[in-house]
Amino acid sequence: MQFEKEVEIQVPREKVWNFIWDVDRFVACVPGCKEAKTIEAGKLYSATMIEKVGPFRVEFPTTIEVLEREDLTRIKAQASGADNKIGSRMKLSLDVKLREQGEKTVLGFVAGVDILGKLAALGHGIIKRKADQVLDEFAQAVKKHLEGDS
Amino acid sequence: MSKVMLRRADAQTIPLSFTLNGRLQELAVEPHELLLDVVRERLGLTGAKRSCDVEVCGACTLLVDGRPISACTTLAFEVRDRSVLTIEGLADDGRLHPLQEAFIEHGGFQCGFCTPGMILAAKALLDENPNPTEDELKHFMHGNICRCTGYKKIIESIMAAAKFMHGSRA
Amino acid sequence: MLRPFRLEEPESVKEVSELLGRFGESAKVYAGGTELLLAMKEGLVHYERLINVKNVKGLNELASDNGMVRIGALCTHRQLETSPLLQQKLAALVRLEQNVANVRVRQVGTLGGNLCFAEPHADPGILLLALGATMVAERASSKREIPAEEFFVDAYETCVEPDEVLTEIRVPVPARNSGVAYLKFGYLERPSVGVAVAFQVQESGRSIHDIKVAVGCAGPAPKRVPEAEEQLKGKSLDEATINISKAGEIAGRAAQAISDLHGSQEYKEHIVGVLLKRAFQNALSQYRAVQS
Repeated sequence: MQFEKEVEIQVPREKVWNFIWDVDRFVACVPGCKEAKTIEAGKLYSATMIEKVGPFRVEFPTTIEVLEREDLTRIKAQASGADNKIGSRMKLSLDVKLREQGEKTVLGFVAGVDILGKLAALGHGIIKRKADQVLDEFAQAVKKHLEGDS
Repeated sequence: MSKVMLRRADAQTIPLSFTLNGRLQELAVEPHELLLDVVRERLGLTGAKRSCDVEVCGACTLLVDGRPISACTTLAFEVRDRSVLTIEGLADDGRLHPLQEAFIEHGGFQCGFCTPGMILAAKALLDENPNPTEDELKHFMHGNICRCTGYKKIIESIMAAAKFMHGSRA
Repeated sequence: MLRPFRLEEPESVKEVSELLGRFGESAKVYAGGTELLLAMKEGLVHYERLINVKNVKGLNELASDNGMVRIGALCTHRQLETSPLLQQKLAALVRLEQNVANVRVRQVGTLGGNLCFAEPHADPGILLLALGATMVAERASSKREIPAEEFFVDAYETCVEPDEVLTEIRVPVPARNSGVAYLKFGYLERPSVGVAVAFQVQESGRSIHDIKVAVGCAGPAPKRVPEAEEQLKGKSLDEATINISKAGEIAGRAAQAISDLHGSQEYKEHIVGVLLKRAFQNALSQYRAVQS
């Protein structure tokens, strides 16, 4: 599943860039994301993703790997996790771009999400909707955090 | 022959007393045991099949108090004090039930996998509606799936059995 | 195979509510189990305790008084499809119940369970929305009546609180000058698209009033579509018949259709329109039949 999101943030590009690498603050914007840890700064991180749809709850211990980075402009990353209790795996690819627009920054990202295993029984549609919601909430949370600060 | 069940010392057990094919059965089950497993594994009656496991195909159909249920998704304790009929209990002292005769005579089965469930469901239908129209039959039986026959012979078999048991539709 | 769990068998709604309060998310109400046990077998959920509510008396009764049909939450689909009372007062609901899943699921599955599990691909909620039904939820010391519009929140999510028990569904009996219809489409056992319409015809102006349109199965939860209703409300029967296509398009877009194995979003939206048209015609025929 592919998702494309874009959000306009009323702060300069540098601030957004620095925010992304501030792991604790950044992770606070991801719905359901807890216990983020830096394994190798700039390269490897870990976190736990907990999501719920009605009574169905999934907990993915996740590893996030930064693949490419262009300072102030672009980040490519991939993440994967498995919930062995439910027998499901999650794969995420992320392509984040920052664009300057005067005093504002446009933060855009393309996310590829794949859910494998039993959870897929819930239905592609429900999972797609949930993933969409999570990414929307994330984009809005980043905007709120950054605009709230200044 | 019943298999030995290993239980945890603190396992909750429910005494299960029910009539199976006309005879009283008494055993103890844990809450999570499924009726299909009790019937197949503990009581050795393998006519009912685990097929789709999601209540869609009907291969696990059993009659409880004359009504069809999916044994794959029924907790065993739910049949306490009730009567259960499996395909093994349909023939009367070796004499086949008219439905069984009809299925043989009219070619109502090929591989036979769906047949126990199919015949039990048909019995429930005819007990409730002795002379169904073909539409009524199809509506009732639509939850029993067959991969071999294309259903025509199954319908013919059931209609023939109905005719034999209760006479023609007026 | 299921993972082991403890079985609780309370005998009153109060006890059920207390158990739910005490054990929280590790306990679940268990009635027919036709949805719950499937999810548990798949390993998608696990509960340490199942609370068998079938020993609580009085939850599977069917009654009618003062123009209101009261359906106990534990009434099985089979009870409803064979009820002479329901056939007389809510024939459209009987037709819907006759076509839920298959005969084995209808034998043990309950209306309350169906509503509370809130599986998106389900029939009853849609018609209950169009009929203006209310759901009664009880706790140890309180009881509240929830309009159907508020009941369904999202896929697999209702507004019933963790320690509340759905005990009754109340449906106003449609007036004599009404038309009610529910149509569904699906080639799998679960319906892919469901549409319900209910309206009354005003004697004087021969115009439609009090119309409700509801869609479901295509999206995460059943919902009413006021914008579609606007196309038909207050219109003469002829005008409404002309407007039905537009109403169908609006209802299709409002259905929040999700592309999945049941069909693409566009396809489902289109089918919503088709079903609304047919359901409206169906309801209109019923109304005309009663008038003659």
